Amino acid sequence: MYLLVKQQQVARQNLDRKIFLEGLAGTGKTTAGIERVKQLLQAGVPPSAILVLVPQQATGLPWQDALRRSRAPGSAEVRVTTLGTLARELLELFWPLIAADTGCAQPLAPPRFPGLELSQYLMRRFVGGEIERRDYFRGVTISRNRLYTQIVDNLNKSALVGFPPEEIGSRLKSAWRGSSEQAFIYDDAQACASLFRAACLRHNLIDFSLLIDILRKNLWPLENARGYLTRRYRHLLVDNLEEDTPTLHDLLRDWLPQCHSALLIHDNEAGLRRFLGADPAQAHSLRALCDLGVTLDRRRAMSVDVAALHHALAKTQGREAGPMPKGGNGRAAIRWPGRARWHPQMIDWTVEHVARLVHEEDVAAREIVVVAPFMPDALRFALQTRLDERGVPHRSHRPSRALRDEPEVRALLTFARLAQPAAGLAPDRFDVASALLSAIEDLDPIRARLLADALYRDGGLLPFEHIRDTRLQQRITFQLGEKYDRLCSWLARVPAEQPLDLFFSAFFCEVMSQPGFGLHRRESAGATVANLVDSARNFRRLLTELDPEASVTADYLRMVEEGVLANQYLRDWELDRSEGVLLAPAHTFLMSNRPVDYQFWLNVGNSGWGRRVYQPLTHPWVLSRHWEPGRKWLDADEEAAGAESLANVALGLLRRCRKRVYLGISEYGERGMEERGPLLLALHNMQHHLSSGAADV
Amino acid sequence: MNLPEDFVFSQGNLQDYVDCPRRFELKYLRRQRWPAAEVDDMAAFERHLEQGDQFHRLVQQSLLGLPEETLRSRINDDEVARWYDAWLANGLAEVPAQRWPELTLTARLGKWLLLAKMDLVAIEPGGAALVLDWKTGRHQPRPERQAQRLQTRVYRYVLAEAGARLNGGEAIDQTRIEMRYWYAQHEGDVLRFPYDEDQYKADGRFLRDLAREIDSCEVFPLTEEVRRCRFCVYRSLCDRGEQPGSLAEWEGDEDMALPTDALDIDALDEIAF
Repeated sequence: MYLLVKQQQVARQNLDRKIFLEGLAGTGKTTAGIERVKQLLQAGVPPSAILVLVPQQATGLPWQDALRRSRAPGSAEVRVTTLGTLARELLELFWPLIAADTGCAQPLAPPRFPGLELSQYLMRRFVGGEIERRDYFRGVTISRNRLYTQIVDNLNKSALVGFPPEEIGSRLKSAWRGSSEQAFIYDDAQACASLFRAACLRHNLIDFSLLIDILRKNLWPLENARGYLTRRYRHLLVDNLEEDTPTLHDLLRDWLPQCHSALLIHDNEAGLRRFLGADPAQAHSLRALCDLGVTLDRRRAMSVDVAALHHALAKTQGREAGPMPKGGNGRAAIRWPGRARWHPQMIDWTVEHVARLVHEEDVAAREIVVVAPFMPDALRFALQTRLDERGVPHRSHRPSRALRDEPEVRALLTFARLAQPAAGLAPDRFDVASALLSAIEDLDPIRARLLADALYRDGGLLPFEHIRDTRLQQRITFQLGEKYDRLCSWLARVPAEQPLDLFFSAFFCEVMSQPGFGLHRRESAGATVANLVDSARNFRRLLTELDPEASVTADYLRMVEEGVLANQYLRDWELDRSEGVLLAPAHTFLMSNRPVDYQFWLNVGNSGWGRRVYQPLTHPWVLSRHWEPGRKWLDADEEAAGAESLANVALGLLRRCRKRVYLGISEYGERGMEERGPLLLALHNMQHHLSSGAADV
Repeated sequence: MNLPEDFVFSQGNLQDYVDCPRRFELKYLRRQRWPAAEVDDMAAFERHLEQGDQFHRLVQQSLLGLPEETLRSRINDDEVARWYDAWLANGLAEVPAQRWPELTLTARLGKWLLLAKMDLVAIEPGGAALVLDWKTGRHQPRPERQAQRLQTRVYRYVLAEAGARLNGGEAIDQTRIEMRYWYAQHEGDVLRFPYDEDQYKADGRFLRDLAREIDSCEVFPLTEEVRRCRFCVYRSLCDRGEQPGSLAEWEGDEDMALPTDALDIDALDEIAF
């Protein structure tokens, strides 16, 4: 592979030194890092001694793919992982040595890891009642689930930043300068966080925040546990250091002096995960611990035209733009839409141009990304259906809908209610008809409704022969009636109290996926139901350990209905490596760390570009290490944070674009309101720089 | 050509291909998830897999030097305690002192890589080079059958091909290599499979041919041994039956059964605020 001289300094030389490599995204830092790993292997370093740390799994995919593709001996053995995964491994291995000191009430019992989905449930279980009783969060108008998420997030920040969880409320309050009512809400957030932590300790439940807390306080100070990592991994590579947290940075301060070699990779002008505790300033301070600093400043991803566009936008945003790229024409790298008044017109325009690129210009679909500040279901669905119509393959890093909204899942949930009347959750007639429609092949909505009307009685399904009206029998047909009977007799044989996950699995396999039934050979439905089975199994295993008397089935069904459980989640082996056009929120694409040829930015007028998501119970800046105690968060801070975020996202996107950006703009947004957000204003202002920039060409 | 350029072979995926090419295609090429049960008594099956996990962790902890009495006092499952006692009694009998627990090695296999994740590798300088695998299943296979399992062939082959770094940079002579299975449910019975140059060459040819066959085959047919389908999650997708087989008859490998729970800690950014 051709490498620039500075990349070679990292990739092929200094293999026994500690290097701090920095530069803007798209300057070839990760490429140099991957080459360094290959070089280390070639030099005889055992792959088991090399560790690549990334802030999240998706960021590790380019490393894994490139190393595997190289087919160099040992390349597939190199571990690419995250701090969270390492922490869990350490905790599981060394639990017997630390359990008594963690504060967990059952040190002789094993730890339990609820994961994200079940943390939401546990928050509701342990804290929900207290919120009702004490009327916490009066005046906060967000859903209960989002409220739980922010309490979890506060605990995570306390662990990752490294301050006691008891200080969450006081830190938030001390920066608040508004009404005293909001200040009380921070007290409520503190009370809930403390309650949740206490319950986790009582039941040995290690959620992410407690895991990180234990890593800092118990595992890392233990020589055995620390040595398990530091003796094993003598060659460290850390990518996107600026997107990682102070906990990792602290660990690296100890770890680096013990390494044989290290490469710390830092994206300048990033820090996109600040809302999850990323701390770019502290990340950069690790440079002082390295033997050598290397800065890459030559763009590798952006074409000269995109670089000119980047230059103009950086100037508009008040960022250091450097010299204008020679020969670059920023206007050639950007496509403004024709006059689009309404949102659907913008979507049509987008899809038309995507299809043209794929079908007429032979652009590989994987080289196109469609991003928006948020990717709500409606927008995703609109894009997906239109792309389908035009035969354009597409993919999405987040599933389009919550699991419970998938028809096959709704059907299974309904049949579970029918099969387990003891749960006391009989479905309504409409749901029964919908479930039959999903389950029986060739059944249409009218016949499904007729079946439900005629045979759904007192929470159960009667056999087909109970229809006395022969005309109605003939209308439904005996063939469909036979399938209906097969389904009913299967349900009648379900043992009382059969665990839900086993019910889902068996009903799917033995009935719904059999010939003549609705999910026969439906591969996508199989994958969806597999997620449901996982969700129900994890819930059952946790709840039966927590409370053997609990009514697992009824609880699970209720939680799914309320949206606490069975929101689809990404499993590691499902991380998307497929080839379609990527539809994703801008942040998700940025963190995937892969440049593409063409980008479509949608909802350009939306104020979500450059504005914090509304999070009344938490605050990424105030809960960081850099916030001066007692300082108030002012409007000027909000404005500065918004401007920084906008610049990081917009310029970050351009740095990951090789050829052209298409701007999706409509006068009226998804909700029919006129939109003139900060990105749109910035782009309009940029036109001036593009014009004047032309003189530099 | 069927395989992506970064495809990595393992004993698991090769065994799946040998057992049923269609299963290989669904599982590794199409990454198809299908939520059927492997066996009739899933509750017992799940418990058994958890016991297996617990036992493997105990052994790893023991090999890391955690005190025996601390580990033993925390076992809350009588069966696992019995297995662990048996392992303490003879699990490391005649096992050289240079040990690499939970070791992953890869070797080239034609255009691809072949990866082996081993419970323990132990090497005596100039002497025996052992690959050990702890088995917690009820079924102890006949030696002649186990000798033909891909695990036996792949692990020895990979150690011969890629074990030099464990041996001071020198390739390990095939005659020093032995694959050893230790059976927890059979009081620590052991099956040993020594290696030699002829077998090594035969394995190399066999594995390379197999990889080429997989890459070039136009259709991935269903297995002709229909009884296997009872224990395969894809049976309803392939129209090969409804009911799972009996747990008592299950002879599968616990290492290849249920996926471990994916830790979604790294998916933190997926939270919708």
